[in-house]
Amino acid sequence: MTTSHPLPRRTVLAGSVGAGLAAATATPSALADSVTGDRWKVFAHGVASGDPLPRAVVLWTRVTPTRHATPGSGRGPRVSVVWQVATDRRFRTIVRQGRVTTRPGRDHTVKVDATRLAPDTEYFYRFRMGTHTSPVGRTRTAPARRSMPDNLRLGIVSCANLQAGWFSAYRHLAARDDLHAIVHLGDYLYEYAPGGYGSGQDNVDVRRHVPAREIVSLADYRQRHAQYKSDPDLRALHARHPFIVTWDDHESANDAWRGGAENHQPGEGSWAARRARAHRAYDEWMPVRMSGSAALGDGTRLFRSLRFGMLAELSMLDLRTYRDQQTSPTGSKGTITGRAQLDWLKARLRRGGPQWKLVGNPVMIAPVTFAQLPHDLVDPVNDVTGLLPRDGAPYNVDQWDGYTADRRELFEHIRDQGLRDVVFLTGDIHSGWACELPYDASTHPLGDSAGVELVCTSVTSNNLKDITGTPPRTTSLAVEGIIKTANRHVKYLNFDDHGYSVLDVTPERAQMDWYVIGSRTDKATGTRWATSWLTRSGTNTLTQAAGPVRGA
Amino acid sequence: MCESTRPSGAFARGLDEIRTGRRTLLRAGAAGVALSTMAGFAPAEAARRTRRRAYVLVLDGCRPDEITPTLMPRTSALRAGGSSFPRASSMPIMETIPNHVMMMTGVRPDRSGVPANSIYDRRTREVRDMDRPDDIRVRTIIERLNNHGLTTGTVLSKEYLYGIFGARATHRWEPAPVVPVSGHAPDAFTMDAALAMVRTHDPHLVFVNLGDIDRVGHTDLTGPLGLKAARRAALAATDAQVGRFVDLLKTTGRWQRSLVMVLADHSMDWSLPHGLIHLTPALEADPLLAGRVVIADNGGADLLYWTGPADQRDRAVARMLEVARGVPGVLSAADPRRARGMRLGPRAGNVVVYARSGWRFSDPDQWSNPIPGNHGHPATRPIPFFLAGGHPRVPRGRTSAAHARTIDVAPTVGEFFGLAPLRGGYDGRNRLPRT
Repeated sequence: MTTSHPLPRRTVLAGSVGAGLAAATATPSALADSVTGDRWKVFAHGVASGDPLPRAVVLWTRVTPTRHATPGSGRGPRVSVVWQVATDRRFRTIVRQGRVTTRPGRDHTVKVDATRLAPDTEYFYRFRMGTHTSPVGRTRTAPARRSMPDNLRLGIVSCANLQAGWFSAYRHLAARDDLHAIVHLGDYLYEYAPGGYGSGQDNVDVRRHVPAREIVSLADYRQRHAQYKSDPDLRALHARHPFIVTWDDHESANDAWRGGAENHQPGEGSWAARRARAHRAYDEWMPVRMSGSAALGDGTRLFRSLRFGMLAELSMLDLRTYRDQQTSPTGSKGTITGRAQLDWLKARLRRGGPQWKLVGNPVMIAPVTFAQLPHDLVDPVNDVTGLLPRDGAPYNVDQWDGYTADRRELFEHIRDQGLRDVVFLTGDIHSGWACELPYDASTHPLGDSAGVELVCTSVTSNNLKDITGTPPRTTSLAVEGIIKTANRHVKYLNFDDHGYSVLDVTPERAQMDWYVIGSRTDKATGTRWATSWLTRSGTNTLTQAAGPVRGA
Repeated sequence: MCESTRPSGAFARGLDEIRTGRRTLLRAGAAGVALSTMAGFAPAEAARRTRRRAYVLVLDGCRPDEITPTLMPRTSALRAGGSSFPRASSMPIMETIPNHVMMMTGVRPDRSGVPANSIYDRRTREVRDMDRPDDIRVRTIIERLNNHGLTTGTVLSKEYLYGIFGARATHRWEPAPVVPVSGHAPDAFTMDAALAMVRTHDPHLVFVNLGDIDRVGHTDLTGPLGLKAARRAALAATDAQVGRFVDLLKTTGRWQRSLVMVLADHSMDWSLPHGLIHLTPALEADPLLAGRVVIADNGGADLLYWTGPADQRDRAVARMLEVARGVPGVLSAADPRRARGMRLGPRAGNVVVYARSGWRFSDPDQWSNPIPGNHGHPATRPIPFFLAGGHPRVPRGRTSAAHARTIDVAPTVGEFFGLAPLRGGYDGRNRLPRT
């Protein structure tokens, strides 16, 4: 449990070698806080772990060493933080521990790569600053590289807009004991100001964003991260399972591409600088290895792979940093991955590696035509999916449909190499989908498929019924039917619900269970199983499963 | 062409073995199946060794995704009840002869001497099929079981397989009838022979090749469009033959002491008529290479052999690689001496060129390979591979993430019968659980 005592002065490193100006100037206030007896939570943003390897895992927290050392403030002293890893909840058997220093220059975040751990093992971890002890987190290392795990079970989430509702999906996932990790496919936070993007047609803010403006500066991004990590449901989920994350656009700005974003205006400074600030805050606040390390400032390469024995390898993509601008409807030669990332991905999708080749894919890769949609429905569907154009044959230029050359190259690689068991795990589109990935959609299902795509719905972000304002399973049912009819490879589509998914992978099959929550505006809403689809090994096709995997 | 149909002389050699008394002929069953047996074979002694039986059923050219409960219910059920390896793959070159040899030797082509169906024989200066018994340069599991006092049988539907395995087995089916164009015996007859062999001689190991799926797949003109109408019919028919074999084991009490390995040697890829790679003109247009390169066409793979002066070989290989990589439809070109993991040996030539999926080679002439279905290239690596049978050592209902390969058959059969590993070790791995 987090303790809330005033900070003892001896934990402040004022005057120590390397202490910065901010630390030195913050020390008197810390002392004053101590003297006056003001209280604040030192570990207000919880603990987290991520990127599990067989012998290492990233551990994260943020400390608030003084009352004024708030996120994004740049204030507060340098402080020393102890981290501990144990095999038991009560920390009777501590197997690894160390001490690190944090400072205002990194927003008092703490990120440690705890190494020399045992593979496929559950651990407990915590942090200490003086007499203050963080909440205890649980994490799990990945199986050994050549091992044959019976299964891999992952929680799958995306698109959590704090203003649009409560993070009940996170709470329900945190209550599960059977997950090895959580895969977050992006839009972990949103950049908008209050009133900018809320709940439903009228953008009602169920909760208001902090700071109360569109985030642009480094301090803004830090504060927004801090606000999201103040959410009790998200904190609980971070504390319960390791995260494997990638970003989509809203971690920087809507519809981002390498040279700009739809939601970045000239008056907001250079895009490169803004994106660098967003990436810096992400590196500080997320339990992730960027450019292969937990160190801060040594690079922002987010695409990476994590292996789970011989059973599966998860390749996490970054589809925002290197992409060309979203294409016009007449052209699709731009890249969504960038050359280096596409070459890297093709190298990961190889023969001889682990059986299941999972791809953490922020935006949909299945080709989808919306051409049969009635014109009156194009606008609301457009709000969810980002369709272009208004007339003619609309398609989503922000996903792989807008970058068909990359998709074709990737699918041809899969086909040329005779690969099987490729599964794309996708977020972004605020709806649940299960799709086969035909090489030629026009002859599907007669032709072969490159794999399957399983798309989780949003935690809270608006879906079709939210935008149309119609009751669930009314307007959307018609739209889903039209889309599935025009796209025979789309096996499941749900435009109405919010929630989360659970992916279970065994040597025999990969199965995704879709769970939906009740009202996102109800803080205590429940959850229920909606449907399950599976792909049997070697088939590259989908079958509806009888029920969800057990063990929750 | 990938699957040569040129007469190999294999049947003539077999007939000669019978005429000269090296094998004795028996007509078995109502259909009069012709089974030949090694001269001097002593059945009583062999029968006492062990009651275990191992059967290797090769569904030639079958893709793993084709074994479905609706299309192949018997085979699908067999897989579901046994131990399956969905990651399994064929090995380079993904052709029939080398992979059958890898199954029965457990070693890669650099040790077995058999890298492809079709090679350029530098000694005889001809492109030929590898269908001669002495093409295999190591002892097969068949001979090793024989030496161990056990008996073996081969029921091989294709003429060149009959040829390369020759007189190794204790008992051998003399294939008939053989379809003139395809050079193979239909599965119904092949299975008649397998059943007759089990009933008549009951060998400890029977090695069966069912060729219909492959042969029909090669010529299925609806394949490139995904319809694969003829192919599907063949799959269903072959499935019935698998069912007959299982029924025999169960009704005769053999099932409980049997290991049944079911796999394919390679899978199949289809190309449209224009998806054709013709290397010959590109090579002939090069001043260094013109008239000095021979191509052995293996459907999805071309093997290039430098026939010019030895001191120009390295330069020629570099040119062959460059020229081949520039031809549309080529996936890759590699020098097998330097390509890590290829292990094809010197008989594979100087350059191995692979086709992309949806393409096929046609060399030396543009009309050499008109058939839509081909294999040999990486797209045709995935294969079904599973262990079935009622013997207690066969796991029930298990699926493994392990990467099984065709070279795993011999180590698995060897382990089942308690044979010591091959001298120098296998390149493959036993896929039965350790006891």
